[in-house]
Amino acid sequence: MSAKAEALGGAGESKLSPQFHVAHHFDKADTQFDAGRMGVWLFLVTEILLFGGLFCAFAIFRSKYFPSFVEAHHHLDRVMGGINTIVLITSSFTMALAVRSAQKNETKKTTLLLAVTLACAAMFLVVKYFEYSHKIHDGLLPGGNFTAADFASGHPGIFFAIYFMMTGIHGVHVVIGMGLILWILLRNQKNEFSSRYYAPVENVGLYWHLVDLVWIFLFPLLYLVG
Amino acid sequence: MSTSHAEHDHGHGSANGDHVPHVLPFKVYIATFATLLFLTVVTVAASYVDIGHTGNLIVALLIATIKASVVALIFMHLKWDHKFHGIIFVSALLFLAVFIGITMSDTEFRGEAEAIEAKNPVDLKDPFKAQRTGDIAIPKEAAAPAAAGSAAPAAGSAAPAAVPAKH
Repeated sequence: MSAKAEALGGAGESKLSPQFHVAHHFDKADTQFDAGRMGVWLFLVTEILLFGGLFCAFAIFRSKYFPSFVEAHHHLDRVMGGINTIVLITSSFTMALAVRSAQKNETKKTTLLLAVTLACAAMFLVVKYFEYSHKIHDGLLPGGNFTAADFASGHPGIFFAIYFMMTGIHGVHVVIGMGLILWILLRNQKNEFSSRYYAPVENVGLYWHLVDLVWIFLFPLLYLVG
Repeated sequence: MSTSHAEHDHGHGSANGDHVPHVLPFKVYIATFATLLFLTVVTVAASYVDIGHTGNLIVALLIATIKASVVALIFMHLKWDHKFHGIIFVSALLFLAVFIGITMSDTEFRGEAEAIEAKNPVDLKDPFKAQRTGDIAIPKEAAAPAAAGSAAPAAGSAAPAAVPAKH
């Protein structure tokens, strides 16, 4: 495998990521690549702790107002949540394949896969829009805007406050992710990425997988078990 | 063993110092995708089986953790990545466990200490008296002669002082 890649690198040296160079403070391209990826992992750690605070709030209030959580979670549409789970997993899959095709110098395929990922992200937000507008219509907004009265339990509003906060911040991450994917899609179209240099594709991929990872926990906790 | 080998290969694979990617076979991605879809169906199906709220929560979290591990190990390449990146990721999860665990050890037991203290008030001027008089460690019969003489009237006088302090 590596011999083949080397041969490819040797033959098309002038074509593969011509603008890429190793910064002088790195001894080789691998070190530079690893340093960037480690930075992204450290950033992902802060993201885990950001969502961790929300999961902590969920855990505390679920145990405090358990009957309210059970009753309130039946108001979430698990079919829509399930569709969004599949959409997001699919986008993670196409993102991983986009990184793979960038590694293999398949520029057109990378563009296509990134476009599919972008489409999945957009579809996720469309489903989310329908879910949100339904909940706003039912008066389930957090805090003083909670106007629904047909609940038997005492604190359904707290569940929906946590629901909107968790899915809202997750949704913001999806929007940011779409911007990042669009950015690398455009750079890919300018032939900037190749087997020599695909760090931005891989690092945006890592971020996108984390967005998927958070949803993997949000979906069962909010929609399924409550 | 084989993973560290692969690491080695792409670390020194190129003669001109270029990065040489470690490309995984396509079937690995297909298998991962299929596993994730399958586990999504399983987690939805499992939520319809009533095994108690705690049971359902544990099953859901277990499946989600397996899914997350698959995403992290394969899609995020942690399995083939430097061990240090894995350590960064796992340490975040450990700190998350500390965060949620210690917070809940507070919120879960709020109000329980007050009930115990009201029944057995502490003399603020002599907080270790209970220990000294054997109120805690020694069984009642053995401690009775000592407590009957000096501790009982003192505890009685401390009670009205301690109760208003809490409100």
